[in-house]
Amino acid sequence: MPAPGRGGASRPSQVGHVTCLGCGCACDDIALTIAAGRITAAERACPLGVAWFGDGRVPDQVQVDGKPAELERALDRAAAVLGEARGSALVMLGAELTVSAYGTALALADALGAATDSVVSEPAAAGILAGQRRGRATATLGEIRNRADLVVYWAVDPDQRYPRYRSRYAGAPPALHLADGAHPRTVVSVSVGSDAGPADADLKVALTPAQELAALAELRAGLLGRHLGGEALPSGVAELAGRLTQAKYVAIVHDGEPSAERRTPERAEALIALTQALNTPTRAALSTLRAGGNRNGAEAVSTWQTGFPFAVDFSRGAPRYQPHRRAGTPEASAPSAVLVVGAVESLPDPLRSSLQRVPAVVIGPRASAAPFPAKVAIDTGVAGIHEAGIGYRMDDLPLPLQAPLPGPRSAEAVVRDLMGRLASASRAAR
Amino acid sequence: MSRLRIVGGTVHDPANGVDGEVRDVCIDAGRIVAEVPSGTPTLDARGMIVMPGGVDIHSHVASSACNHARRLLVEEHSANPVAAPALEAGIAPARSGTGGTLPTTFTTGYRYAGLGYTTVFDAAVAPITARHTHAEFDDTPIVDGGFYILLGNDEYLLRQVDAGERDRARDYAAWMLEATGGYAIKIVNPGGVQAWKSGQRNLTAIDETLGSSRVTPRAILETLADAANTLRLPHPVHIHCNNLGQPGNVSTTLATMDALAGRRAHFTHLQFHCYGSGAEGKTGGWSSAAKQVIERVNGDPHVSVDVGQVMFGPATTLSADGPAQYLLQASSGRKWTNIDVELETGCGIIPYRYEERAAVSALQWAVGLELFLLAADPWRVVLSTDSPNGGSFEAYPALIQLLMDRAARDEQLKRVNQRLLAGSALTDGLSREYTLNEIAIITRAGPARLLGLRHKGHLGVGAEADVTVYTREDDRARMFSLPRYVIKGGVLVVEEGQLRRAPAGRRLRLAPGHDETVVTDLRRFYDAYGTVAFDNFPVRGLRDAPLELG
Repeated sequence: MPAPGRGGASRPSQVGHVTCLGCGCACDDIALTIAAGRITAAERACPLGVAWFGDGRVPDQVQVDGKPAELERALDRAAAVLGEARGSALVMLGAELTVSAYGTALALADALGAATDSVVSEPAAAGILAGQRRGRATATLGEIRNRADLVVYWAVDPDQRYPRYRSRYAGAPPALHLADGAHPRTVVSVSVGSDAGPADADLKVALTPAQELAALAELRAGLLGRHLGGEALPSGVAELAGRLTQAKYVAIVHDGEPSAERRTPERAEALIALTQALNTPTRAALSTLRAGGNRNGAEAVSTWQTGFPFAVDFSRGAPRYQPHRRAGTPEASAPSAVLVVGAVESLPDPLRSSLQRVPAVVIGPRASAAPFPAKVAIDTGVAGIHEAGIGYRMDDLPLPLQAPLPGPRSAEAVVRDLMGRLASASRAAR
Repeated sequence: MSRLRIVGGTVHDPANGVDGEVRDVCIDAGRIVAEVPSGTPTLDARGMIVMPGGVDIHSHVASSACNHARRLLVEEHSANPVAAPALEAGIAPARSGTGGTLPTTFTTGYRYAGLGYTTVFDAAVAPITARHTHAEFDDTPIVDGGFYILLGNDEYLLRQVDAGERDRARDYAAWMLEATGGYAIKIVNPGGVQAWKSGQRNLTAIDETLGSSRVTPRAILETLADAANTLRLPHPVHIHCNNLGQPGNVSTTLATMDALAGRRAHFTHLQFHCYGSGAEGKTGGWSSAAKQVIERVNGDPHVSVDVGQVMFGPATTLSADGPAQYLLQASSGRKWTNIDVELETGCGIIPYRYEERAAVSALQWAVGLELFLLAADPWRVVLSTDSPNGGSFEAYPALIQLLMDRAARDEQLKRVNQRLLAGSALTDGLSREYTLNEIAIITRAGPARLLGLRHKGHLGVGAEADVTVYTREDDRARMFSLPRYVIKGGVLVVEEGQLRRAPAGRRLRLAPGHDETVVTDLRRFYDAYGTVAFDNFPVRGLRDAPLELG
């Protein structure tokens, strides 16, 4: 277990302005109370945040073949496993690490000629690909807070999985460009099947999944003064169309992550198209809700290092984008070894299952608790609790991550050490 | 290699009055020195051209906006995989990447160095994203990097302008530079981006007011120009005028220069701001107004510019000027990203292509060349393409050829669409050919001086040992594409035309000092309207100390 924290054994201490990675909101106003090496309170954190911080303790073990081992031996073994898989390994970026740790993992993947992927969910990936086809009209969350007089929640109630989104980014004044008062903005809930919007909305529109794309097309056509006809839509759609153009600044909020209703992959592109088109009669931004754990950070560093946000293959000596051959899917090549860098519990199920059969090295928070037989498991700290660095909010704003508690070894340092060993082995082989 | 003697090269070091003299250049511990002991390793540069390392005063290489653009440019990256260079084994591994108009960070560093450039400034960073820029620069090897912070559409500043609080605006600008690790103040479409976000859509004249406030582009420009000059910043305000890319915008550009007459000011990518509204007797069209503008520049020693030359081929328009980018997407129909950045600025991104056969592209190309060829003082007219807006920085050698070789220029002029070129000085036959010394001025000595980088852009004793050695060739594009040697901070990074070493670059930043009372007020503002904790705003733990002012 880690050593006692800043507060020592007896006197509690406070650490302010801590960034929470419990969800993509990345609230950076959390005050942690630390006593006897544990987090005892997380002021202002939502239930998700409280659960994410926990008491701040994480396992601190190094294992080879499931048994405790010295770090040196574990790293040598990891280098051997991965060295044998040059050109056919998979480096998987899990959640909960800093941007610099992800960057180092990508450097290792580059040197190994590995395929890489990260824990971008299927709907989130569809949204990114739609944005790559069309572009997008978006805003950082403070712009929504200070300007949006109409907020449309499209098939999502943020209170469920992004509990402070509404209060921090789309809530009550003060807002620079909205009138003071109790009701400065209009809230619209568009429910799609069982994916419901907020219950307290000013206007509620209920769509079946089959009506969704038709409704989005109708809204967009309405901006051009056209009526598509076709499928009968609820009357609320026409009312919403009117409100969209009357507003000064529209925020359309949707969930980038999987939800109860299996959505059409075209939703993200249709929402992008509608939001872009709204910028002719008025101003509008699409806000995409994303999960936490610094997922946006992994995408950011992958983009500046490789040109692509996820699913990058280095096996031909330079980055190639493989968004339709995601790790763990039948379309992807089977790796001969896997390096997981990040929290194992964030890995998608199909990949986790495949790791029962492939030699795996796991470096990250709670690696020793991996639910598959890892050849090597090295526990590290969690970004924002034990490791300082940069984390990204769902709107791609970079925020500082503190290390309020000491923790196990740094993931970045371990990966860097491993990379050095692989390089030495490679030189020796030449 | 701590000591080196570059032997017998033909040296162009205009800052020290050296114009093509054969002499040795000596290096010790990363600096230029007068002499080195006998037995010091030598580099044979006989018959070659020796210049200081290039200094890019205006590029887009390391920013949140760049990364949003990279994400959008998936086709370009897919078509341009770049293998890792064969570097000498060292601590940092060589990295592969992708190229195109906005290469990945490691590739950017390698390619700038591969052209003989050793210092690069990113010209547009939203302060709230500065942490991202530092992280990208950490992954951009070899080149020393700095950036300009976007002010002039930020809510706090606009409030100070409205209230006439110029001292507080100055202290705010100083605090922002220190908090972000920035180097200079960049103004993009003053007030216009705020208008775009608020529904007013844009400000198109420098005395147009922002909403019901007293804020005008003129007031913003005066406030920030005075702030930069009072703070004795090494580089004055770096201005992207209102009405970028619009026909007839010459009047706005000249009005902006007039508004700041007597003050130091740098006007960036001037080419995009030099359009008339049509040939004589016609209205509603486009024409070149380069002559008018460059004559104004020639006559005002306080003014400096970079050109923002358009080069035919692929480009990516990438700008904080949200309203200009909106207009471009509306006219081009291309894919478009718009990002409104809270409390500060905007961002628009559109992949683009300049075509010889397209009349407006041809006009833009001609306007840029006119600016270069009619410039009276090369020390105040810097080479840039506003990379990647007018084309990639990798097009600099081709641009140098256009400036140095009239025959190559005239040949291309024959091929381009002539429809809008009536009245362009270029078609009247500008015969000027830049000399090597002039090229050394507009690519290194001039920008270094305009940036106040006393130890860069020259080869005098005490200068940083950033040196480029070119093989002399009649084909200037080839010559400037493939330096024979590049030395960065005394380290031989390009050897026999091959990139061999990639040391980390330094960060160039300032901390000009401010009255602390602004911090109290600013904290109150951020606590009320910001979504990032004020204490989390400053970027901490930066590797390199701020440069000394004065």
